[in-house]
Amino acid sequence: MHKTMETDVLVIGGGVTGTGIARDLSLRGVQCILIDKSDLNAGASGGNHGLLHSGARYVGSDPEAAVECKNELGILKNNAGHCIEDTGGLFIAVKGDDEKYIADFPGMCEKSGVYCKKIDPALARDMEPVLSKDIIAAYQVNDASINPFKISIENMNDAVLRGSQFLSFCKLIEFKMINHSIEYAGIINENNGETFQIKARTYVNASGAWAGMIAAMAGITINMVLSKGTLLVTSKRMTKRVINRLRKPTDGDIIVPGGVVSIIGTTSIRVDSPDHIYPTINEVDQIIDEGGRIIPDLKTCRYIRAYSGARPLVSEGKIGDDRSVSRGFTLRDHKMDGADNFITITGGKLSTYRLMSEKASDLVCWKHSIFSKCLTKEIPLPSTKSGEWSEPGMMATEPGMSKNFNDPILCECEMVPQSAIDTIVSSIKQAGGKPNLTSLALRSRIGKGPCQGAFCSLRIFSHLYDSNVLKDHSDITNLKGFLNERWKGEKSLLWGQALAQSSLKEMIHSGLFGLELIENKN
Amino acid sequence: MKINKNTDCDILVIGAGLAGYIAAARAADLGLKTIQAGNSSALFLASGLFDLLGVFPIDSGKILTHPYSAIKQLQSDQIYHPYSKTTPDQIKKGFQFLASFLDSAELKYSRPGANNKQILTSLGTFKPTYMVPETFSKGCSLDEKNLLIVDFKGLRGFSARQAASGLGRKKGKIHTLTIDLPENNGSLNPVHLARSFENQEFIQRLADKLSMFSGKADIVGLPAICGIHNSLEIVKSLEKRINMDVFEIPGMPPSIPGLRLKNTFEKKLSDLNVSFLSNAKIVFHAMEKDHFILQAINDNFETRIKARGVILASGRFPGGGLFARRGIILETVFDLPVFQPKTREMWHQLNFFDAKGHQINQAGLETDNRFRPLDKTGKPAFENLYAAGSIIAHNDWTRLKSGTGVSCVSAYTAVNSFYKKHLR
Repeated sequence: MHKTMETDVLVIGGGVTGTGIARDLSLRGVQCILIDKSDLNAGASGGNHGLLHSGARYVGSDPEAAVECKNELGILKNNAGHCIEDTGGLFIAVKGDDEKYIADFPGMCEKSGVYCKKIDPALARDMEPVLSKDIIAAYQVNDASINPFKISIENMNDAVLRGSQFLSFCKLIEFKMINHSIEYAGIINENNGETFQIKARTYVNASGAWAGMIAAMAGITINMVLSKGTLLVTSKRMTKRVINRLRKPTDGDIIVPGGVVSIIGTTSIRVDSPDHIYPTINEVDQIIDEGGRIIPDLKTCRYIRAYSGARPLVSEGKIGDDRSVSRGFTLRDHKMDGADNFITITGGKLSTYRLMSEKASDLVCWKHSIFSKCLTKEIPLPSTKSGEWSEPGMMATEPGMSKNFNDPILCECEMVPQSAIDTIVSSIKQAGGKPNLTSLALRSRIGKGPCQGAFCSLRIFSHLYDSNVLKDHSDITNLKGFLNERWKGEKSLLWGQALAQSSLKEMIHSGLFGLELIENKN
Repeated sequence: MKINKNTDCDILVIGAGLAGYIAAARAADLGLKTIQAGNSSALFLASGLFDLLGVFPIDSGKILTHPYSAIKQLQSDQIYHPYSKTTPDQIKKGFQFLASFLDSAELKYSRPGANNKQILTSLGTFKPTYMVPETFSKGCSLDEKNLLIVDFKGLRGFSARQAASGLGRKKGKIHTLTIDLPENNGSLNPVHLARSFENQEFIQRLADKLSMFSGKADIVGLPAICGIHNSLEIVKSLEKRINMDVFEIPGMPPSIPGLRLKNTFEKKLSDLNVSFLSNAKIVFHAMEKDHFILQAINDNFETRIKARGVILASGRFPGGGLFARRGIILETVFDLPVFQPKTREMWHQLNFFDAKGHQINQAGLETDNRFRPLDKTGKPAFENLYAAGSIIAHNDWTRLKSGTGVSCVSAYTAVNSFYKKHLR
């Protein structure tokens, strides 16, 4: 007999939207279980710029999205300030850029009510000295940067505090349909291979790029268009503000500061599946060449990582450039598709995740005949300890951090001490997850500095054995998995100093420890 | 003001990794006037284990017991591999020279024999290697002995439980012990800890703790931090006090066995009048008749060096012998042609641990049978320029576990060939 869990709402997908819905519903007293086949932010929520759009980027292509961005930015700055850096932003045009778009830009901003202020190119270069000498126009806007890992962790932590539950590495395998409704969801725990069932009143598909596959399990078709975007992380922060290229949105035209680094992107390449996507050498070269037009240092600086996310866009049947498919979100009540207690929320963007969560939660409550008001606009998102360590450059010496000298630093690039690892381990355990290098990496900065896990992986791994979190030698495949995950992001960026560093990693992990000779589980 | 100097020598060795040190050692041993230039911290990364050939073919995934028979196979399959430019006999002679050189400087290694050893690492994996420091030897034959593995609280990256996890076995008990030293204030610096081992009182305190296991364990494994100098004596003294065998377990850098090698080479080479230019960038200027004119530059000095021969043991990317731009790999001192994959797409595999290894690790200098780098036409680029160690192409040493063997045989052979010609 299978184990069965019961809950009000089963949310599928642990990205910003799914965790946002879990918190929103929990605040309204609706209990949720959130499952993810991998872990928090394993999809596009972890593979983006970390940019809170002021709206200005969309004033030409999608005015409705521009207004949503503008409104959400105000709400999030007030309610989730600890996940946000209020950097401000600039739109910059260089010689050769479309003069008509430049001329139309302030008018389009005004129409959407999005703030923009024209400034002198010389002033822009004073504000951000790395900008190109070829600037022909500059506007100041209200962009901000957000830590998407932290926002998901904090949303989930708050939901758990209010009685909801998070199950990582639990993958949906079937919907049992009876009379136009889902009777239960069949789930497999990928950690131990056990299968079980979750019975809920309503099932929410918040699986982002996987939404089409999840819907298909209930016999419903959603035409997803998946567009891969690749981003590069520089080893140093290049600018104080978010820098946008002032032109019709295309490749390599946004540079976002994130703590001590900057993130530059992106590309847009149609992919068939959101699984196993990785940055290619072509994309990397293209981003560097384009980004180098506004910040010439991008052509020579050191990069520490590249990553890709698949934008979940819902096709309305038109064919063309994926960037012209709406970046607005799609909320569908599947009652009309023959599944009464099933809804899908997908598309959209990080900047509007809260609004998407609100609308999806409204629909759930409406279906449950609960008359409740969304509270995420009013009640600030609490700050918890396990959320702190996903912040880049967060150091043991910063105010508010422990200055315990008996606390060895395990990740030296990102200054993550042993006590932080222990805190995150216990929060993963509490949430029902499996603490190991990969789950720690999703919740902290470990392995994200210049050494890309060469040293910290070993220090943390041995600490996990030491503290009995790991026991079996077979867990060594987790070390391989962690290094391979880092590798995906390094491999297209290996030249100069970064190549020397990755060779060193190979000397240690292959040359000495012979990890390539260890067979992978399964 | 920088100091300007002029100096000349028979042979200049560029590089202070294992290949550079072996070349300098052989040159000094043959009585050549030798200068060595390089970054002396490179050996902090060396495990201290000497590999010959641990895996072959590269994607076999199998650990070799008999390296010399595999080398014969390699010589017929991989004609461009550096081992195919020499003989098993020459390889063994190189190792014998290395062992006796270190021996004379009081750093004892196991003898170069016929077989590989398998040694337990801190990760709990077994590494195939050829020669090990004597302090490691007993760890190569753990059989079914009752074992105690010890770690130190605050010594990051070494967990006794983790090392023990790799020893799945039927007979023999495994115990683990964590020692919390009063001097630990969070993290222990491995170099400081290794120095503590040179103190008799420390050894006695340690022995008192380990004695709890007398009768329960036959042999004790410690992280490789048992002293910087005289490590073998320290281990023996500990064995005597606890009446159990003791061995060291290799682990992540910084590596104390690597530091022991560096100190031993430095001291012995300085006794043999080899001069060392530390952390200098070497620039090649021109040939003056049959002499190389080079310049060694660092923050304090600029030295003009006139050398009859040069051994290029500058390593690959970490050592700085090769440098990769976004698309092309260059040799950094002589701008020699570098064998390399055609495009950047081909440099690396999708999987970091791909069994075939990464194509970029085949990159390097192509040489003749005396290890002289070739120019574009396939002839030696210079009459008296030799390459040694990892800068030589067609040797993915991290996968083949062939790093020391190639360093040793190339350095040894290169210096010998230069010496023969120099005498004439």
